[in-house]
Amino acid sequence: MRQAEDLILRDYIISAASEINAGGGTNGDNPTNLGVSDFSLVATTLDTNNAYKFTSGIEGMDRFGTGPVRSAYFMLSSTELQTDMDGLTGSGFLSQWNYPTNSSALPSEFGSVFNIRILTSSEAPVARGASANNNDVYYNTVTGKQGVTHINQDGFSMNLIYRDPYYSGMLAQNATLAVKFAQAQALTQDTAVRNLLCTRLSNLGV
Amino acid sequence: MTEYSRSAKGSFTQAATGNNVVIYLPFQPTRVDLVNYTAFANFAASDIPEAHWDVIMGQGTAACTYVGSGPVYSTAVVTANGISTFGAGLSLQFGAKQQIASIAKASPTVVTTASAHGYNVGDVVMMEGLYQSSTTGMPQMSGMLFQITAVGSTTTFTVTWNSNQSNYTALSGSPTGAYVMKVLYPFLYLPGQNFIEAINTTTGLITTTTNHNYVVGQQVAFRIPTQWGTTQLNSLPDTLIPGQPIYYYVSAVNSNTTFTIAGFPTGATAYTSNIAVSAVPGLTPPQVVAVGDVNSGGFPYTGGALYPSPTFPTFSGGVMTMNGPGIAGAFVNNTRQGFVIGSGNASYQGTPDTSSHLSGETSDVIYWQAFIDDLSSP
Repeated sequence: MRQAEDLILRDYIISAASEINAGGGTNGDNPTNLGVSDFSLVATTLDTNNAYKFTSGIEGMDRFGTGPVRSAYFMLSSTELQTDMDGLTGSGFLSQWNYPTNSSALPSEFGSVFNIRILTSSEAPVARGASANNNDVYYNTVTGKQGVTHINQDGFSMNLIYRDPYYSGMLAQNATLAVKFAQAQALTQDTAVRNLLCTRLSNLGV
Repeated sequence: MTEYSRSAKGSFTQAATGNNVVIYLPFQPTRVDLVNYTAFANFAASDIPEAHWDVIMGQGTAACTYVGSGPVYSTAVVTANGISTFGAGLSLQFGAKQQIASIAKASPTVVTTASAHGYNVGDVVMMEGLYQSSTTGMPQMSGMLFQITAVGSTTTFTVTWNSNQSNYTALSGSPTGAYVMKVLYPFLYLPGQNFIEAINTTTGLITTTTNHNYVVGQQVAFRIPTQWGTTQLNSLPDTLIPGQPIYYYVSAVNSNTTFTIAGFPTGATAYTSNIAVSAVPGLTPPQVVAVGDVNSGGFPYTGGALYPSPTFPTFSGGVMTMNGPGIAGAFVNNTRQGFVIGSGNASYQGTPDTSSHLSGETSDVIYWQAFIDDLSSP
């Protein structure tokens, strides 16, 4: 039931926050596909804007194939970008499985590039066929700690409502399943939020 | 009526012949009935006294009674721009892609589509693939949202942008991949991110490509990449108070797409949208975003009641959202649903009468009923 409020927050951020078009890729589109320089640019922008990072980093360990993870902002990306991110392995991308320890990794965490840890979701925003060359444009929301907040108005958090058919109508035909909430989302510090727009290097073929 | 059926009714007086009328409801109807009381009372040629619509007929249609020349009472249908429903859902939903046939270099820019576009003034569109060749065209306009300011014909429309510049090349011959598509729900959250069409560094007048939806006293921030010139407006770096973002206040709302800011920096670099095509990959558009309402302080608020019911757009032609009173300039969720009564023509035995309008003529009084049924069967 949290998906409803996640989608509301997602749409609010892409409607109200400013954007940066990826330019570090090689596909010649606008925006381009993701290049490691785009991650660096966004992290640098947020650093310059004095945004707070979410995590303090993971210290390196003596384990094969692993590497330390920098202190980082979180970025929400589409699962459809995972192939492009895998393609950056060796040039900046570190899979979550290559963290020194992934005990602190979130279940949806795919990996990290420099100062950004990437969460992927099938519900991340995509504008289909909206790039200069008619490709899909992916909105990767990068936020600092103080960028966005979520307010339960008057303590009214989300309620799941189920009324069985007996109570939902005098003919007892239909049940009611719904969620109800009185919540608001707010950009508390606009300089700590950026939507990094990108396209894909190549089509998924799906 | 059984368990979940809903119905609603109301009336309105048509402001001007040819206007579409939007009815906001807490549901999307599957059936609508209209009665034009004025047409019943006057009985003149080209009137549409009553009309009926069912979702199974298709969006933008209606079956109606019609007064033909004579006058004679008859029946007819509306095949386009009739009754349709809408429901603002999620962002980033687009209408069908339409091939762009040509775009001449001009300011404002007039776009010609290969077939009838069906757009109205106020619709928001996005264009892409605006290349005449791999190195020429108008790709600088790609990816931005534009509000249609005029509809010249069934295949042309106008957007606010200066394409009559040296780095722009006219499009012709329906270039492959040159498309325009309508943004179905462009203003779900207000005031949203806006793209900048022009900045007058002398007067401080900012022109946006869509309705900016700002109010006087609104706090705004600019994101202007280097290529566009006027980077002095950007939030950072602030050399006076390090780490403190530079924000501006809207001092005047000059139109739905223009506003003036207070404290415009002196000696600011001229704004330019004459970007080279070779610089387009990775080009970020110039933007202005709202960062505070009129209650943010720092600017004397003179806009009237501090807690009005918000109407958008903010300069003229504003319509209330479903929300109640709120702080002027604060973000508003604009989710709406209901139906639209279009100004389509009655078509009698296949011949449309262009003088007839489903939504009536100036001062017509029209009553409507809308229903959503428990069960429907095609």
